Amino acid sequence: MQGTHDIDQTTTANDGNGLDPREAARLLAETKRDAQRQFSLSPPWISAVMGAVILLGYAALWLSTRGQHPYSGPSAGAIVLVYVAVAVSIAVSVKVYQRATAGVSGPALRKQKVEGAAIALSYIGSPLIQGAMYHYHASHTIVYGVIPAAGPLIIVGTTVLGVAASNGNRPQFITALAVVTGGIVALFVGPSGAWLAAGITLFIAVVGYAAMTRGRFLHPQGGTDEHRHA
Amino acid sequence: MSTDTLDAVIHAPARLRIVATLAALPDGDSLSFTRLQDILDLTPGNLITHLRKLEDAGYLVSETTGNGRASHTTITLTRQGRTALDAYTKTLRELLGGL
Repeated sequence: MQGTHDIDQTTTANDGNGLDPREAARLLAETKRDAQRQFSLSPPWISAVMGAVILLGYAALWLSTRGQHPYSGPSAGAIVLVYVAVAVSIAVSVKVYQRATAGVSGPALRKQKVEGAAIALSYIGSPLIQGAMYHYHASHTIVYGVIPAAGPLIIVGTTVLGVAASNGNRPQFITALAVVTGGIVALFVGPSGAWLAAGITLFIAVVGYAAMTRGRFLHPQGGTDEHRHA
Repeated sequence: MSTDTLDAVIHAPARLRIVATLAALPDGDSLSFTRLQDILDLTPGNLITHLRKLEDAGYLVSETTGNGRASHTTITLTRQGRTALDAYTKTLRELLGGL
């Protein structure tokens, strides 16, 4: 087969005798790094893309609401921009997920799918509260400012926090904790400030998570307990 | 300490790469033959030869479903295989520390 490695075609029990320990260590580290990249659901590059998307979207929301008296909510242009950014993010995430899980099967993947469904489901929490607030004639400050900005961070962040804790995934736990904390801050800084606080929080969380997991790719540890969850 | 202390079943470039790749998956998860072949860039015949050797040692299990073109083979690293890779890594570190 053209372009494929055909080493050790005639293998024997001693076919590794010529393999130098240094070369073996290099090969092991390189293979682990490559495999982790192959199976990773959140490679560093996607975090960089998400960070840029978050900055763009939340900056638009903040700029369109800054200085509003009384507060009326984000402009239609800003909302369209955010929806486009979310659509792009979802499309990229689906592509990465399909690539990472192609040919993979088993209990851990099934568990991960259930966790993913729970996280996806938690996204409806904030719009539901927003709808209830609208129903009870809450002010625009609450319905179109504080709740949509802070709600997703607190609700989705708490769900991810639970998932991360149950998996013992420290980078994910720290990131989710930062997101929930940012969401709580966003509740108390006014409607326009809430968008700014949410944007800064998510950007720091995404970039911080990328930095924490980047080390795993560059310096894979000797153990074999690295999971796709990273 | 010499290279003889290294597990001979793992201490071959292709098999080392196979075991290390499968170990990157969570415990109990399987990988399809075609994806493994794609990742490692090995010919099917070469991959089968090495997989058989690892399977004989109890380091992995393969399961084939379907027949002919519709057949689908999945490979899973066993607990024994994971432990063997850990032991191999430990020995390698000790060897390199002593070099």
